[in-house]
Amino acid sequence: MMATFARSLGIRHLVCGSCNGCEHEMNALAGPDYDLTQDGWEIAASPRHADVITVTGPMTDAMRVPAQRTLEAVPAPKIVVAVGDCALGCGVFAGNSGSGDGAGVELGATIAVPGCPPAPAAIKDGLRRAAAALDERR
Amino acid sequence: MIEGELRVAPASLRAAVAERLQRGAALGAYATRSAVRYLFLEERGVRAVSAAVDPDEPIAAASQICPGLSWDEREMADEFGVAFDGLPDPRRFRPLDGLLPEPIVATGTGVTQVVVGPVHAGIIEPGRFTFSSGGETIAHLDFQIGYAYRALERSFAHADPLAIVSRVARICGACSASRSLAYAMALESICEARISEPAAFARQILAELERVYNHVFDLGVCASAAGWGFGHTAGLQLKERAQRICEQAGRHRFLFDAIVPGGVGDGVLEDRAGLRERVNGLAEAVDDYVGTLFDNSSLVSRWTKTGILDDDAALALAVVGPAHRGSGGVVDVRDAAPYGAYREHPVAVACEEGGDALARCRVKAAELRESFRIIRSALDQLGGSPLARVPIVAPEHGDAVAVVEGPRGAETVALTLAASSIERVHFISASYRNWPAVAHATTGGIIPDAPLVNKSFNLCYACADR
Repeated sequence: MMATFARSLGIRHLVCGSCNGCEHEMNALAGPDYDLTQDGWEIAASPRHADVITVTGPMTDAMRVPAQRTLEAVPAPKIVVAVGDCALGCGVFAGNSGSGDGAGVELGATIAVPGCPPAPAAIKDGLRRAAAALDERR
Repeated sequence: MIEGELRVAPASLRAAVAERLQRGAALGAYATRSAVRYLFLEERGVRAVSAAVDPDEPIAAASQICPGLSWDEREMADEFGVAFDGLPDPRRFRPLDGLLPEPIVATGTGVTQVVVGPVHAGIIEPGRFTFSSGGETIAHLDFQIGYAYRALERSFAHADPLAIVSRVARICGACSASRSLAYAMALESICEARISEPAAFARQILAELERVYNHVFDLGVCASAAGWGFGHTAGLQLKERAQRICEQAGRHRFLFDAIVPGGVGDGVLEDRAGLRERVNGLAEAVDDYVGTLFDNSSLVSRWTKTGILDDDAALALAVVGPAHRGSGGVVDVRDAAPYGAYREHPVAVACEEGGDALARCRVKAAELRESFRIIRSALDQLGGSPLARVPIVAPEHGDAVAVVEGPRGAETVALTLAASSIERVHFISASYRNWPAVAHATTGGIIPDAPLVNKSFNLCYACADR
C-alpha cells in the first residue's frame, strides 16, 4: 500500500520574493498541457497535507519568518525543491542588499530546478526527483 | 517625455494636484532626494507637479483628495523621509525588520477578522488580506503588500543604465515586456535615440503578445473563481499556446529581454511566416473560447454585479487599464498618448459601464480581438525588414518619464541620470495603481466572492513591491 501511494505528492508552494514568472509556470502544471494529476500529484491547500515544498524567489525580509513557519508545519518526511535561479541564489538579483541568499538556499532545498523561470516540464522533472528522493527515505 | 512641469510650494501641492486631476489621470508620485513629483497623463502627454522637500515645510498630502495616491505618499515618507501634512493613512508602507504595520480593521458587535496570507492556499504571490466581516458581509478589507519588497530601486542607483536592463525585465514576470518597453523608451528619450521603424513594429507585436497571454489567463481564472473547471482549463491551454508563441517570437515564454534599449533583443521575430500562422490559429481559438465563456449563462450571471467598482471610485482611486475601462473610463495609453507604432496606427479602445467582474472580462475579451488585429497589421508593415538596434550612449545628465499600456494598464518609468549613471529610477506599475480598487470592490460583498473579485483584476505583487 505504502509503495503504491509513495509517489503521490502533496505540493505546497511558497513564494519568497519571486517575480511571479516561476508561479506562472507552476500554475501551468494545473493546466491540460502539463496536468500534474496524471502523476498523482496535487497542490496542497495546507502545509499539513504536503510532502513537497516548492520555493521560489531570492527571499525577502518579510517572508523569512512566514516561510520558516510554513516549512515547520509540514510533517516529515518532507523535501524542499528550489524552483528557479533566484531560489538557488544565482538569479539576476543575487547579491542585492534587499534580498536574501535564495529561498531554496535559506530553507535547505535538496532538489534544484534551475531556470529563469524553469519551463513547466523542468519543474515536473524536479518534482519527480523529489518523489524518488522521498521514496528512498521511507 | 515630460510635456510640462509645474513647481509649487509644499503647502500648495494638494491644490495643484486637484487642478491637474480636472484635466487628466494621475499616474502616481515619487520622491527624489530633493523633491516630490506627481505625474499625470493628459491629452498632450505626461505632465508633472513638483515641490521641494523641506523638513520644516511639510507637503500637503494629495491622498486626502485622491485616495489612490495613498501608497505613493506612504512610500515617499518611508524611503525618502518626506514629511506630509494630513496623510489619511499615516502608517508605514514598507516592512520594518520584516514586519508589516498592523492592519486597519473594522470593529463592532459581531464583526470578526479573517486574515488570509502572506502564504496562500494556491500558487499566488504573497500579500496579506485582513477581512473584517460582520455576518456574511465584508465591512472592511485591508490589503497589504511588502512581502516581495526587494529594495530594487535603491539597488539600481548609481548603476550604468544599460547594465540593469535584464534586471528591469525581471522585476515582475507577467508584465515584463511592457516594463522593458517603458524603460527603453525613457532611456532612448534621454539619449535622443530614435529606434528604427521595423523595431517599433516588432515591439508592438511583442507588447500585444504579452497582453494576449495575460488576458486569456485572466478570463480563465475568472471562470475558475466562478467554479467552472472547463473554462479554467481551456483558458490555461490557450495561455500555454500564447506563451509558446512568445517563445517563438521573443525567444522567451515571458518575453524577458525581448525588448531592449535601442530596439529588440537578438533573434527576435526570426520566423515571421511561422508566427503569422500560429497567431492566426490562436486568434481563432481565442474567439471560440470567448464565445463559449459569454454563452454560459451561469458564468455570466456569476460575474454580473460581482465586485462593483463605480465610476467615481475608479477616478478617486486613480485606477488604470481594463479595470478603469470597465468602470466607464476611456483612457488607454496607446490611444491617449500614443507611442512607437501606435502613433501611426490607432487602437480601438474597449469600454464598458458596469464596473463589475463581467465588465472587466468584456473589456479584456474585446482587447484580445484588437490585439490580434494589431499583431497581424504590424506583421504586414514589418514584412522582411531587418531589426537593427540603434546605439545607446548615455549623456552626462538626463531626465525622462515614459508610459505604456501594459496588460493591466499604465506602466510608468521615471528615470533620472547624473554622471551618466542612474540617479533615480522609479517604476509605477498598473498593479500598484489598482490594488486599492480591489479592496474597495471587495468591500460590501461576501468573503466567498473575494477570490472572483480579486481575479477579475488579476494584479501582480512583485511589480507593486519591487
